[in-house]
Amino acid sequence: MSESQFLEQVRASQGIIYKLVGLYAADAEEKKDLYQEVLLQAWKGWPSFRGEAKFSTWLYRICLNTILTQKRKNSLVDYKESLESISPSVQHSSIQREDGVNLQKAIRRLAETDRAIISMHLDGYENTEIADMLGISANHVAVKLHRCKQQLANLLKQ
Amino acid sequence: MSIEQNWKQLDEQGDDDLSKLLQPGKVEKLHSSNPLYKIKNYLIISMIWAVLIAGIYVYVLIRFPYWPVLLCIGTVLLFTLWAGYTSWKQYISINPSVTGHSLLMEMEKHYAGIQNWMKVQMKAAIFVYPVAAAGGFMIGGMVGSGKSIAEFLSKPAVVISLIVTVAILVPLCIWLAKWMFKKSFGKHLVSLKQNIDALKEMG
Repeated sequence: MSESQFLEQVRASQGIIYKLVGLYAADAEEKKDLYQEVLLQAWKGWPSFRGEAKFSTWLYRICLNTILTQKRKNSLVDYKESLESISPSVQHSSIQREDGVNLQKAIRRLAETDRAIISMHLDGYENTEIADMLGISANHVAVKLHRCKQQLANLLKQ
Repeated sequence: MSIEQNWKQLDEQGDDDLSKLLQPGKVEKLHSSNPLYKIKNYLIISMIWAVLIAGIYVYVLIRFPYWPVLLCIGTVLLFTLWAGYTSWKQYISINPSVTGHSLLMEMEKHYAGIQNWMKVQMKAAIFVYPVAAAGGFMIGGMVGSGKSIAEFLSKPAVVISLIVTVAILVPLCIWLAKWMFKKSFGKHLVSLKQNIDALKEMG
């Protein structure tokens, strides 16, 4: 499989990388490092991707596994995203964007494993899929998810 | 707007840093900074050093054919070869690539890989450091004083100095090795362990 096919697939699902890295990177520099590492790991794992699951689901796993096993800085700061780095098509909807950024900031304040659970839930994964990706039992995902949502609601009220 | 919609809306945002990487020819040039990749690199360096040092020991054995030197350096040589072999075994056992397995399995694999590396380094240190310190002391003393090894070690003060040197240097080197490991991987291991425990608590 060619590099262009790989890039095409990643481009179509790049929102996954953007959002997940945004939840864990301590600062802008670390964000760049994590992008590189996720892309490299996905590229290396690409030959083993057999298409049994959707590419986006596979990329989600690679992304989470890479980020959480990567050596990262301990302190998270709310680094600024410059307006130039955001595509012009969405600059007009700055209020919506702000809501999204505020949500991302709130999720960043949760525990690392809780961030993974809530992001998978918000991306529409079923509890069984979340359990499978994390390696835990599905029964506990619902309970944990309920707590995460409550915590998130409180954070968003602040 | 609901939380789900706000989250989805983030999908539409791009990032220049990410877009720049998604160009042909870029991905293949990337280098991994994954801790297990780094450990694999350290292991290659360890193996190269083991071979070089073994070569030096062989030269010393030929150049100074005195029984205490032969005993100490011969022992260190064996341990060096053993350390090189264990580095090789560990090198081939580490798979630094991130897989599509569950997050828990992946984190456990990384945690175990880093811990095992440290254990092997410590094991090697406990065996190699004392003999290396004693060998270094004797060769240094012999060359410095211009005496044979038997003459050099004939004074009780020298033997006491040798024991004191080994007793100070060995724990100091082990402590330094532990400190360097903690400095390099300590926080990362703590964070990995916390996340592993958090997932295990969930069931």
